[in-house]
Amino acid sequence: MKARRISAIAIKEVLQVWRDPRSLMMALLVPVMQMLLLGYGVNLDIAHIPTCAYDEEASPDSIDLLKHFQASRYFHLVANLGSERQIADAIDRGRCKLAIVIPADFSREIAMTRHASVQAIVDATDDNTATLATAYARAVVQGYANDVQADLALRLAQAPAPAAIAEQSRVWFNEDLDSRNFIIPGVVALVLALVGAQLTSLTISREWERGTMELLLSTPVTPMELMIGKLLPYFAIGLVDAGICLGFALFLFAVPFRGAFATLLFTTSLFLIVVLGIGYLLSVLIPSQIGASQMAMFATIMPISLLSGYAFPIDQMPAAIQALTYIVHARYYVTILKAIFLKGSGVAALWAPIAALMVYAAVVALLAARAFRRQLA
Amino acid sequence: MSELLHRIAQILVKELLELRRDRWARFRLIVPPIVQVLVFGYAATFEVFGVSTTVLDLDHSQESRALIASFEDSSRFKVVRVATTQQDAEGTIDRSQAAIALVIHPGFAQLLRKGQSAPLQILVDGTNSNSALIALGYADAIVSTFSQAYQSDFLYRTQPASAAGRVEIALDDRPWYNASLNSRWFFVPGVIATLTLVMVVNLTAFAIVREREVGTLEQIMVTPIRPFEFVAGKTIPFFLVGLALVSIITLVGTLWFEVPFRGNPLVLLLGTIVYLLSTLAVGLAISTLCRTQQQAFATNFFFVNPMFTLSGFSFPIASMPPVMQWLTYLDPVRYFLVIIRATFLKGVGLEILWPQLLALLAIGGGLMSLAVLRFRKSLD
Amino acid sequence: MSSTIPARATAIQVERLEKRFGRFVAVHDVSFTARSGEILGFLGPNGAGKSTTLRMLCGLLRPSAGRALVDGIDVARDPESVRKRIGYMSQKFSLYQDLTVAENLRFFGGIYGLAGAHLTARIRYALQMAELADHAGSLVSELAGGWKQRLALGCAILHEPRILFLDEPTSGVDPLSRRRFWDLIHELSGAEVTCVVSTHHMDEAEYCNRIALIDRGTLVALGSPAELKRRSLGGELLRIECTPLDHALTALHDCALARDVAVFGSTLHVLVEEAGASREAIVSYLAEHGIRNARATRIDPTLEDAFVQLVGRGERPPNPVRQPVAARAAGARA
Repeated sequence: MKARRISAIAIKEVLQVWRDPRSLMMALLVPVMQMLLLGYGVNLDIAHIPTCAYDEEASPDSIDLLKHFQASRYFHLVANLGSERQIADAIDRGRCKLAIVIPADFSREIAMTRHASVQAIVDATDDNTATLATAYARAVVQGYANDVQADLALRLAQAPAPAAIAEQSRVWFNEDLDSRNFIIPGVVALVLALVGAQLTSLTISREWERGTMELLLSTPVTPMELMIGKLLPYFAIGLVDAGICLGFALFLFAVPFRGAFATLLFTTSLFLIVVLGIGYLLSVLIPSQIGASQMAMFATIMPISLLSGYAFPIDQMPAAIQALTYIVHARYYVTILKAIFLKGSGVAALWAPIAALMVYAAVVALLAARAFRRQLA
Repeated sequence: MSELLHRIAQILVKELLELRRDRWARFRLIVPPIVQVLVFGYAATFEVFGVSTTVLDLDHSQESRALIASFEDSSRFKVVRVATTQQDAEGTIDRSQAAIALVIHPGFAQLLRKGQSAPLQILVDGTNSNSALIALGYADAIVSTFSQAYQSDFLYRTQPASAAGRVEIALDDRPWYNASLNSRWFFVPGVIATLTLVMVVNLTAFAIVREREVGTLEQIMVTPIRPFEFVAGKTIPFFLVGLALVSIITLVGTLWFEVPFRGNPLVLLLGTIVYLLSTLAVGLAISTLCRTQQQAFATNFFFVNPMFTLSGFSFPIASMPPVMQWLTYLDPVRYFLVIIRATFLKGVGLEILWPQLLALLAIGGGLMSLAVLRFRKSLD
Repeated sequence: MSSTIPARATAIQVERLEKRFGRFVAVHDVSFTARSGEILGFLGPNGAGKSTTLRMLCGLLRPSAGRALVDGIDVARDPESVRKRIGYMSQKFSLYQDLTVAENLRFFGGIYGLAGAHLTARIRYALQMAELADHAGSLVSELAGGWKQRLALGCAILHEPRILFLDEPTSGVDPLSRRRFWDLIHELSGAEVTCVVSTHHMDEAEYCNRIALIDRGTLVALGSPAELKRRSLGGELLRIECTPLDHALTALHDCALARDVAVFGSTLHVLVEEAGASREAIVSYLAEHGIRNARATRIDPTLEDAFVQLVGRGERPPNPVRQPVAARAAGARA
């Protein structure tokens, strides 16, 4: 293996990428675009849920309860309805996602039995929003109940019976419970995987299509030298992209970062090797540029969006699908990123996903070396 | 008029012949969509079941065991570890072995029997905040059920004259349209919109650009055929492909995933037709911007990706920043998703959905006119 | 490299080389040797197997049968070593269009392991040889056809290979540039570089030391241009000028001396056993048949004539680069 040959190939590749506006665009513009799009667009936290109210009683108590809803940042009261039929209409049309129904005997029940119930009709088409909305609604109602409780205690000059169990919950790692904090590290993985594979998927097939491969094959260059020489520039580009994404994550989206940069650099480099290797392998196997890049896109976006764990939790998937995720390279990197950002984990704690990525890189490199045709036929 | 139709038919026949000869294309049209629907249906979920839980019971009382039992009985939680020390319990969260740790300190039962508040410490791994929030909600529900039951039992037994009953207001939640809160019912119908978008735009753009790249476009344009006729002939096959896709996914969704279909299929058909108009237009527009298939590929990505991400397909539009929410009004996918979900789950009809249909028509019509105009110019 | 080890006398040795693609036999039973410093031409119509043979010798295709030794190395067993010693110009122009002339040279130099002052010197030499010194910084896509070919040659000789394989190096290039290119090849041959050049231009074949005539995968003939011409005809050619031509043509058909007659423009080419003896005999024969103004001169056969003879008459459609006159003649002879 000669360093001279490798550097000759690397220099040529750099010159070609530099002179190809499309490659540059893919390398620089796409990460920015994706970070902005996904960083802002992907958000599971809810706020200002349009809510309707059907207050059958219209008493000071019921109005007070509704005020509690209005005061909560999770709900936005848009209408006071006059009949049950209007509820169906409002939810059907999508005017509101939640309808609070306060029964006619609301305050009476509270006064007499200290027990009342309120109905929450929720549009469960989007089950996640519905689940969260219900949980928040429950919390609002609880808050109202506490207020009534305190008020009652004051009037009766009695200490209220405390709740049997007092929950003391502490949230670790993502204390703000901001969905962005765990999704955005995953977006970084998605961007790097996408861009990396796209860039390298063209590199060999382009030589075939332009006819320069035949000449290359007649020279003493070996498959390994060719691979290393070609991937070096893209590795550098990948690190730059990682830097861009990181910049966005830290400074624009203010995702907390508790780990060490060295760990991040090491694991990102490892992931880049895997990603670039996959693109290269595709380029070797598919001699048409368009075929290779399409395959790279297909093999990247769908599996990573669904199976990497960046948005959808893997442990909630059926066992068969969970098994599938083990071959998705981004799964390991997403785990690593979330751990580095939110938990401050180091290499020791992450040895398992790191080892997995190493194995992945070795397998891909081996496959690419074997698949590379040293002769025309 | 008949000449016009005849010429369109010629292009159409050519397209279908090419399609028939290209076995790989046929494969690509059927297998990947089905695979994607299946994987999506199974993988995409925000539901929370069997959250891995660590339990630390330092009280070892009847009450503490009862509380833990109520968590164990719930399908939402799965006890994976019984810890022995606080450090042990916290370690499981640290090492991602458990997402939740329940800690009951000594003296728990004592406090309860005295009629006082007994603390339950819940440690949550907030990394996946969505799941954490939902899990906390379920924990809340279990704890308050336990609390109330214990309290009413306690009051009944001790009947303290002084203590006032606790004010309890229950929230009776009624989920409409998706009573079991099944994530699949939300995602799988949505896949219809996104998959159709990607495939139809891709196919249309590539088909036309390929002709341009190979040179046959030039050849066709010197014939009497008019640009509009060429476009029609080129896009009709992909229109049919789009219809086929929608049907296939609907079938897979209803038969395999048992997603209910409560509305009127004709409404869905109407919505599909108008939606396809938009997607074909986007594909056509992209083809006018590109000379080579390589360019088409990159341009495709730039258009389709935002349309996909901002459509409300998996992430709610309401949670996006206001600027982005405004942008989604231009996205035909957004409207089609509303129509799809309404038809499958809500069972409503035209009287509710006419705004979406109108919007689709407007966007589709506008895009198509623009695209055809651009196409004509690009031939010069 | 070429200065340290003495050049071997036989640069290339090919024994019963064969290449099959599935059931199609592209090259069959080809054997020849090439001397060091020789310019060996592969001549033949399109699809004859010239490129396939060349590619086997470069190590780009694996032979189905037979053996080929390039610079003493078995091509099938050790293609890696072969690549180090040869230079190759492929049929399609295959340098990097989006790189400059200098960048291409530097790249290939690096690939062949050249560096530093040595590389710089070789690049300077290549630029000078190809007359591209003023265009070193131009993108290859901006160069005209002939310049590109010279650059490709330059890239192929940076590492001073002893053997060069050039696959139709002058295709699509204007005649003037072709001449200049062949001047370069002669220069290289003079420096003991063996050049194997495939072409279907008859006039170029004349520049070679020896020509291997390849048709439908087999080696039809091998020899210097003069030898081939002599051998193929099995006789000598007389050019007859007279009027009326068609009358003479008909008359000569029955002449025992005239082995073959064909029209060439406004003359007749007659194939005879011996030109000297037959000349006067033909003229008198024609006079006997009413043509008194006949004039006969001995002419040298062209390679085209030889080619047609050796490859077969009329069994394949005429090659487009041949002169129209010969095509008509070939048709007439059939």
